[in-house]
Amino acid sequence: MKKIIYGLLATVAGVVLLFSYRTSLDAVAPAASTGGTTRNGTSTGSSGSTSTGSTTSAGSTASGSTSTSSPSSSASASASSSSLKDGSFTGQAVDTRYGPVQVRITVSGGKITKVSVPQYPTQSFRDQQINQQAVPTLVSETLSAQSAKIDMVSGATYTSDGYLQSLQSALDGARA
Amino acid sequence: MIPAGQGRTVRTAGVMGTVASIHVIAADGSREHRAVLAAIDACFDELRDVERVFSTFRDDSDICRLRDGLIEADEADARVAVVRAACVDAKDSTGGRFDAWRRGWFDPTGYVKGWATEHAARSMLAPLLGRAGIDAVGINVGGDMQLFTAAESAWLWHVGVADPTRCGEVSATMEVRNGAVATSGTAERGAHIIDPHTNAPVLGVASATVVADGLELADLWATTAVIAGFDDLSWIASPGVRSGLVVSSDGRVRRWANGLELTASDRSTAAPDALPFAVRRGA
Repeated sequence: MKKIIYGLLATVAGVVLLFSYRTSLDAVAPAASTGGTTRNGTSTGSSGSTSTGSTTSAGSTASGSTSTSSPSSSASASASSSSLKDGSFTGQAVDTRYGPVQVRITVSGGKITKVSVPQYPTQSFRDQQINQQAVPTLVSETLSAQSAKIDMVSGATYTSDGYLQSLQSALDGARA
Repeated sequence: MIPAGQGRTVRTAGVMGTVASIHVIAADGSREHRAVLAAIDACFDELRDVERVFSTFRDDSDICRLRDGLIEADEADARVAVVRAACVDAKDSTGGRFDAWRRGWFDPTGYVKGWATEHAARSMLAPLLGRAGIDAVGINVGGDMQLFTAAESAWLWHVGVADPTRCGEVSATMEVRNGAVATSGTAERGAHIIDPHTNAPVLGVASATVVADGLELADLWATTAVIAGFDDLSWIASPGVRSGLVVSSDGRVRRWANGLELTASDRSTAAPDALPFAVRRGA
């Protein structure tokens, strides 16, 4: 059991720099949907979850497009649920080409729900700048702009008419 | 979070075929209210003036008169030469993916909005931060924004990225103190972005969002990202680009920050024995 956890932590430490930022890691917990890729259930092990064929914007007509493989993710989720114990686990600091990285994971319900980096590497990692990178966090569930406490919405340029239907219009109206 | 209506001044105005929204966040909104409103008006005025010079929908704009041979380049507004030089650089830095001369004449329409918004915001809105009680100021023109926050303030702008496949929802959020966020895509106005290399409308990308220091760059690269396509992220380490995401027409998402793609959401590469999120072993 411990072996699995610490092997996991070492592996995670090796890749954590790919994510660069804690917030983005929080966003990739198993329950997080990948922003419209698949809307499958939160790793209940059912691989038959249907993805709604994502329709596209005006101008193109892709429909019923298949989602990326849900079998692999659900398989891994069920595998992990049988081997991971709930709790928080902190790995040893691992030297990477970016400097030492130490990872902490939180397991809940047999799934990794959070990955964080208690010790940031200092060399060529530049916390200050990284913190200003504004890493996009994928929204994990249907979320209205209001509930997310969003100040501004970025999107494809709306026309003057389109503004009236836009999220930004709602925000402006709510706060004018 | 500053409560709605308290300490947040919001004004909107129609410019450049869309709507500009300016938000000013102030712990005490009443104290400097007159100065805030004056700055907002000045910013809107500058955007309208840029539109007067650059609009391709007005026959009397400098750009249209240049196109029609009614004036020479040296007779045009001085800002035309500035934007022309920037467009030369943009064509070069994007490897020709952005090309203001695609139509056979100088049409900087795809460039002017970001450029003008950043410059108007820097000159008219940013100076408000020096005033007592003002935490932050931001402008959003048709979904592209430039945001400022006072150094001593704890304020964070919470920015949502509109979901291009589901109207009225957001697909991602991000936090920005100072910087710009631009999104290009086909969600609002259909396939209107043309690949200069093929002269055909771009279809593979539903929307591309780029965070950069300034909106001039963010807007340029968001447009370029749509043209480059979902499979090509070779440009994300370009100077000034901080982070972003691109959504394909069939709903797939790729994200990056600091020149590195974030592969965590890419379940398609997950091996059967992989963790619930995809991990690149030995990376």
